[in-house]
Amino acid sequence: MAIHFAGQRTRRAQDLFSLTSIDLFYIDLEVVTSGPCPDTRPDSALPPRKTRPANHMKHIRNFSIIAHIDHGKSTLADRLIQRCNMVTAREFKDQLLDNMDIERERGITIKSQTICMPYRAKDGKMYTLNLVDTPGHVDFSYEVSRALKSCEGALLLIDAAQGVEAQTLANLYLAMENNLEIIPVINKIDLPSADPEMVALQIEEDLGLDMDTVQMCSAKTGQGVDEILEAIVKLLPPPQEGDAAAPLQALIFDASYDPFRGTIISVRIINGTIKPGDTIIFMSNNTSYKVEEVGLFRLRKEPQKSLQAGEVGYILAGVKTVSDTRPGDTITHKDKPCPRALPGFQEVQQVVFSSIYPISTDDYENLATAMEKLKLNDAALTFQKDASSALGFGFRCGFLGLLHLEVIQERLEREFDIPIILTVPSVCYHFFLTDGTMLEVDNPAHFPDPATIASTEEPYIKATIHMPDRYMGAVMTLCMERRGENTRYHYPMPGRIELTCELPLAEVIYDFYDRLKSVTQGYGSFDYELLDYRPSDLVKLDILVNGEKVDALSQLVHRANSRARGLHACEKLKEEIPRQMFKIAIQGAIGGTIVSRTTIAALRKDVTAKCYGGDISRKRKLLEKQKAGKKRMKIVGNVEIPQKAFLAVLKSEQS
Amino acid sequence: MTGPGLYLHIPFCRSKCSYCAFNSVAAQRDTVDAYLDLLARQIEEYAALEWCGGRRFSTLFIGGGTPSLASPAKLAAIITLCRSRFSLADQAEISMEANPDTIGPELLTTLREAGLNRLSIGIQSFNNAILAGINRVHTAEQAIKAFHLARGCGLANINIDLIYGLPHQTMADWQEDLQQILALAPEHLALYELTIEPESPFGRLQAEKALVLPDEDLLADMEEATNTLLSPHYQRYEIANFCRPGRQCRHNINYWLNGSYLGLGAGAVSCLDGLRFTHESDPYRFMSAVEHKTTTIRQAECLSRTARFRESMIMGLRLIDGFNLRKLEKRLDISATEVYGPLLAELNSQGRLLRQGEMIRLAPDWLPVANQVLNTLV
Repeated sequence: MAIHFAGQRTRRAQDLFSLTSIDLFYIDLEVVTSGPCPDTRPDSALPPRKTRPANHMKHIRNFSIIAHIDHGKSTLADRLIQRCNMVTAREFKDQLLDNMDIERERGITIKSQTICMPYRAKDGKMYTLNLVDTPGHVDFSYEVSRALKSCEGALLLIDAAQGVEAQTLANLYLAMENNLEIIPVINKIDLPSADPEMVALQIEEDLGLDMDTVQMCSAKTGQGVDEILEAIVKLLPPPQEGDAAAPLQALIFDASYDPFRGTIISVRIINGTIKPGDTIIFMSNNTSYKVEEVGLFRLRKEPQKSLQAGEVGYILAGVKTVSDTRPGDTITHKDKPCPRALPGFQEVQQVVFSSIYPISTDDYENLATAMEKLKLNDAALTFQKDASSALGFGFRCGFLGLLHLEVIQERLEREFDIPIILTVPSVCYHFFLTDGTMLEVDNPAHFPDPATIASTEEPYIKATIHMPDRYMGAVMTLCMERRGENTRYHYPMPGRIELTCELPLAEVIYDFYDRLKSVTQGYGSFDYELLDYRPSDLVKLDILVNGEKVDALSQLVHRANSRARGLHACEKLKEEIPRQMFKIAIQGAIGGTIVSRTTIAALRKDVTAKCYGGDISRKRKLLEKQKAGKKRMKIVGNVEIPQKAFLAVLKSEQS
Repeated sequence: MTGPGLYLHIPFCRSKCSYCAFNSVAAQRDTVDAYLDLLARQIEEYAALEWCGGRRFSTLFIGGGTPSLASPAKLAAIITLCRSRFSLADQAEISMEANPDTIGPELLTTLREAGLNRLSIGIQSFNNAILAGINRVHTAEQAIKAFHLARGCGLANINIDLIYGLPHQTMADWQEDLQQILALAPEHLALYELTIEPESPFGRLQAEKALVLPDEDLLADMEEATNTLLSPHYQRYEIANFCRPGRQCRHNINYWLNGSYLGLGAGAVSCLDGLRFTHESDPYRFMSAVEHKTTTIRQAECLSRTARFRESMIMGLRLIDGFNLRKLEKRLDISATEVYGPLLAELNSQGRLLRQGEMIRLAPDWLPVANQVLNTLV
């Protein structure tokens, strides 16, 4: 499964399988102590400063960098941090803000981070630049939006060679909704294929942004980075005049979990002041906590005496789980609460659902603990207990999208070393029953009796696809195959096409990313938003292995696709299930009708050809590997099904 | 039970074959001869050690690589040296591996005089197209000629190595090979299913999916055809080994019974009463270490009784008649139940293992899929 696709840099899921353990938390770098002026000595060993200048708010800039994936966001962030002399060259590593290995290896940001950079501008004054890093994938757009809420401005980063892409627009709209001041930045001007003039024209004509404010840079070489820092100070407004004396209103825009200190809540103080010892409440659920520490994000967390209106920082208050801290929620004082919560809070919406089972039923408790731990740091993950007759106990989980699902799967296997099986991802369907009720179903196990179904609905999305015009035909065909409707397109500039199409979400989560990447040779970019529910015709496809239904492989599919899906599933299983001591029949069934069938012949040969004295260690290791492999198999009936067979069913032919 | 074995490794070949991942490098005769001089030093060194030299060895096996690449006189000298420095049993089996292109009258006569009484010829296939495809440097005609030459020189115990499941090999090809075997009538046969070793040239080809190999069903059919064709004339006594009555390779039987053995030369492995050690495998680094009188041992481990028991099981069950489980329990002073709990009884009741008195063996129908049982015992 591909994760994203812009230009020629693509990454494949199999790369993920070589990932090492993930470092979840803040970068443990030594911060240099010889900054450009005394004010920039962020030495956490020093006692917290008592006061800050009275007018210091004027010298704060809260901003984000938003961009299409691969347009160089993390590289620019690295360069800004370096320019503010926060790390020495020795400490520098690429993608400073991407802490998880999975982020570095995929080159994407999953968990946003905040960093506070001291900067002496050309006017001779010291400024505090709070860079709120944001995730860069379409699955995480809500995370982006809440991060943007804590800012006054944003750098809209655009690749000088690729120009405006699908997520450039999506992110720009998010920033505009939050009334952010936008500085367009054209990056990668050092590339031979760069065409900054053309991109600048696009910015003015397509995005309607002011050409005069466009910055040119190469985050790689550092060219133009000083000008960007100056532009941040000059063009972005300081935080709105909050009232430090008013009742506390603090916006939660992120939270992460530290095993020793509990939840680290990232906040933007809108009004009031918060300090250690205060008793605070979260307005969405009225829970109260005592503040243990407040501070600013430097490369390390730096404690402060207080945080006041306009500042971006963190709060430690002994909050046990990240799920108690809901992004978009408001924090206030218990004894002097603000009259109302900040607007815009919404529950995170999961769109993809799948069940996770441990391969070994003994691992269930471990899996439960691991899910709780992941939940500590991932407010968007939801799960509840689930049971399967084939796989035993597990969890039904909701995800923001397929990438989110893959990330969780990866982290369970790497951080917690629990081999798991995922069931076929599903969206949430609506079933209108003959008794007049409506049933929301995101789990094939809950598919109602077909006789009672009056009508069904499935969610649709609006897909926006950017690509060079030569791929138009192939992409149109793909959209049609995927039951696309109302396909429209226009040419934002010569040679480029922006195509919009309304598609069933279920088709997108199946293998749309992979296919799009494949038919556009990696040059297509994609973004989507949820539209509405539309009438559908759904059936439940079951998979039987030697006559036994494997409920974890059941999926809800459109009737028109059901035979093809059934055959695909049977063929994938045939490829992945190793031969066993007897013949295995694999069947796809809808209700009582068999729609597809494959057979796996019995194992006839599995023996080490030669084994003498000197070979024994090596041959023993081969057998031990086989033995370990069996542990990763799930026994259904009398058939051993490897974990990868479950995964293979989720994937398309081409991947 | 046979006694401990002595193994000498000669890590050189004229050229590397496509399937091979053995410890061997391509070299000329003078390099091999220089190596033998240093190997002789190591033989002297180990023979002087009481815990090695104090044993009475039942077998001597010179393997490779291609030992016959060396000068006959040098090889004869090595055998003579082993016989004088180590205590070899009177009727010791003395074997050497040879490739058809290196077998000549001088080599055979010289080695026979030095005491060689068993020759193992690596023929691999009697099909010239297939031989070329696996990068062998000899032809089928050379192989047949070499065999007759060895017979003519009075060698009464000859083994032939063949491989089946080679790229593009058909059932008819394999049956022709077996017919050729029956015509030559060697005393011993080692018939190996091709194993793709990741670090061999074939391993690299397979990674690129550029290798056309017989499928599992054809391999199973080839194994069955082998048994059918050979059973009137040969006894299958190990998964891959066949012999005329009484012609089992005693040196290898000792490996399958997990007895003690001393291995000398580059990469050779020794296992003496549970102490296992391995010599430097790179031939040139090995030679340099011997020359400078520094240790050549690169790995050593002391196996627990449980580990020895498990290894004895996975080795011993390769023998068609199995082995005496009671004797193993006595030798290692640990019971099968202590090691495996109820597993052996379960495998027995599932018909995978057969018990007969003190003997234990793999059920015949499980031989082609032996790993499915052995991987539960490892």
